[in-house]
Amino acid sequence: MSTQSVFERAATVLAGPSAPDTPRAVWDALRTAGALPPLDADPADLVALVGEAGYHGTPAPLAETLLVARPLLAAAGLAAPHGPLAVAAGPLDVVFAHPDTGNRVGPPGAGGTDDAVRVSGVLSRVPWARAADAVVVLTEGPSCGPVLLLLEAGEFLRVEGTNLAGEPRDDLVLIDAAVPAERVRRIPAALAREAQWRSGLARAALIAGAARRCVDLTVARTGSRVQFGRPLSHFQAVKQEEARLIEEAALVDAAVGAAAAALPTPDTCELPAWIAAAQASASVAEITRIAHQLHGAIGFTELSRLHLATTRLWSWRDEDGTEQAWCRRIGRQVVEGDPLWPQVTGG
Amino acid sequence: MLRQQVRDFLNAERAAGTILGRPDSWLTGWDPGFTRRLAERGWVGMALPREYGGSGRGNLERYVVIEELLAAGAPVSAHWVADRQAGPSILRHGTEEQRRRFLPRIAAGQCFFSIGMSEQHSGSDLASVRTRAERTGNGWRLTGTKMWTGGAHVNDYAIVLARTDESADRHAGLSQFIVDLRDPRIRVEPIRLLSGEHTFNYVHLEAVELADDALLGHAGDGWQQVTGELALERSGPERFLSTLPLLIALVAELRRGACSPEQHARVGRLTARLASIRQLSLSVAAALEAGRPADVQAALVKDLGTRFEGELINEAREILPVAARFDATRGSYPELLATAILHSPGYTLRGGTNEILRGIITRGLEASR
Ligand SMILES: Cc1cc2nc3c(=O)[nH]c(=O)nc-3n(C[C@H](O)[C@H](O)[C@H](O)COP(=O)(O)OP(=O)(O)OC[C@H]3O[C@@H](n4cnc5c(N)ncnc54)[C@H](O)[C@@H]3O)c2cc1C
Repeated sequence: MSTQSVFERAATVLAGPSAPDTPRAVWDALRTAGALPPLDADPADLVALVGEAGYHGTPAPLAETLLVARPLLAAAGLAAPHGPLAVAAGPLDVVFAHPDTGNRVGPPGAGGTDDAVRVSGVLSRVPWARAADAVVVLTEGPSCGPVLLLLEAGEFLRVEGTNLAGEPRDDLVLIDAAVPAERVRRIPAALAREAQWRSGLARAALIAGAARRCVDLTVARTGSRVQFGRPLSHFQAVKQEEARLIEEAALVDAAVGAAAAALPTPDTCELPAWIAAAQASASVAEITRIAHQLHGAIGFTELSRLHLATTRLWSWRDEDGTEQAWCRRIGRQVVEGDPLWPQVTGG
Repeated sequence: MLRQQVRDFLNAERAAGTILGRPDSWLTGWDPGFTRRLAERGWVGMALPREYGGSGRGNLERYVVIEELLAAGAPVSAHWVADRQAGPSILRHGTEEQRRRFLPRIAAGQCFFSIGMSEQHSGSDLASVRTRAERTGNGWRLTGTKMWTGGAHVNDYAIVLARTDESADRHAGLSQFIVDLRDPRIRVEPIRLLSGEHTFNYVHLEAVELADDALLGHAGDGWQQVTGELALERSGPERFLSTLPLLIALVAELRRGACSPEQHARVGRLTARLASIRQLSLSVAAALEAGRPADVQAALVKDLGTRFEGELINEAREILPVAARFDATRGSYPELLATAILHSPGYTLRGGTNEILRGIITRGLEASR
């Protein structure tokens, strides 16, 4: 065990039929195996680990915790709780908990005496909220700058929901919840942007993993399934489709890999992350289409494990930002920013 | 005229709260009450002759009715196979006694059929079926397991393809049987879709004793009979309208807010493709009505149409991006989107996969040169 890296140990924990099957069990198993990545882990390793979670459909907010919540908390100067974390962004009504009663100018809540706030509103479809120790929330503060809040379970009402794969996606209802100053930070606009692209990259890394799962399951299926006296993989039409599936999955993997490699250089890591998010979302349709087609009817049922990957892919492509939004961002940057080619090549 | 009557009927159903507007309603919308109300108006078994309880109106008028039903996402799956396949097949191949026994009940919306063709090892390669029917003193004994049998848990009968002659060549030794699904020697075992829904089954046939009159058509003609039915099965409006209710819901959403030129253009492009595929499908229906062979044309329609059903989903996602939610309010745009997505793997598989269809198309092309 000691010769293995944290990443390898973690990958082993997430694999196989006896892999932990609840968020708590995932955390416990990782901790026991000494495989919970430290806060200063290599970002590329974290992305790879999230890919593993995507491959196995690991039932826990690993992507959210490792790639989004923890780095954001660190950047905002807040200590990260040890357990699983959820991330939510959205407009909320935020007012100072202790309004400056002497200030009679401006809208209610415009002035305050400290950073303690009261928040109201609904955060919709928050991944894994019911399993998280705390929720990192990004929203606009009372005097119109972005703020980061750390909410603890019990500070909101939860309306449980799921995505197409049955993963928890809960609505969090906040009714004038008080958040003490030590869990509120005003953050620069750049960090709010970083929160977005980090979420997109985290989702893309999950998609890359599940895409690889689709490839593995499909190659195994067409290699063993016999029709007309031959394995399916021997038919030209099947080979052609299978090749396209492999290509599309490789494309996503490459985009995510490039974004992961760019992470340590903050100045130039935004565009690669957008590109990874956009390409991952865009490739889902083709990947799921071919994997299902080549599986035949069995893949359309609960009998095959394919649906564990495809229903997640169909959900993930629309979470943490849509394909259209990513494409629009890339397009705007290409049209309004530096010349295209240097942007594509990263300088 | 007929079309308007159907629309009036559907409007009344909608007002009555019958669930309408669903994608893929011919797979999952099992509602015998709805079927009976349709049958009362003469819209089930429409193309069957009057002497057998049908309304003798021919395939083109039937086409109008079923496309209206599908566009409205009406719950038609109970009678779907009886109306589309079993009825015409019994009319064509059945004995006079079989016609009198089944056709009036089909047209009355009181007798529902499943298709028992596929098996675990026989999907695309249907001629490899292993279910056997052995001759007994006064009938047949059927043994084997069918798979993917839609509706076998709720329907009355299945038309089962079985091997009756081991020695003959693959295609020659097959026969079709009408099998009563309530037979105690039949065990129906559910297979759940990836959405968790139950429409598919295994059908275990454990030495089912059949009388002589269970044979449909002639022994050994099963393959020809099956492939003869396929043009009907493949070219109908259900091969491009499964996700139309989603497009209709999308347009309703767009009407509510401001619609950008880009959104207009994309809806326009979808509409043009839809209309073109429909024309092609109609031309196959006309050919079949005139008794002309249309196997290759039917395969073409199904390949184009079923791909369109899937493409429509991705276009909808781009035109009006929302997260698809199976747990959203029934009938809302995110829920319809989720249903269409979760059903999408089926479109290009059922009724013969698109790769197999393209094989038929290119072989047809070679034959015509
Ligand atoms: C929604 C749905 C409803 C259905 N309902 C019924 C029903 O009611 N009754 C019934 O009997 N059956 C039913 N089926 C079964 C259906 O007919 C089969 O799924 C279909 O024929 C494909 O067989 P398979 O699933 O075994 O796939 P396979 O035959 O294993 O094929 C897997 C993949 O390989 C490809 N392939 C196979 N052979 C070749 C080749 N020679 N060249 C190129 N590509 C090839 C196929 O195109 C496919 O993409 C249903 C299926 C679905 C999805």
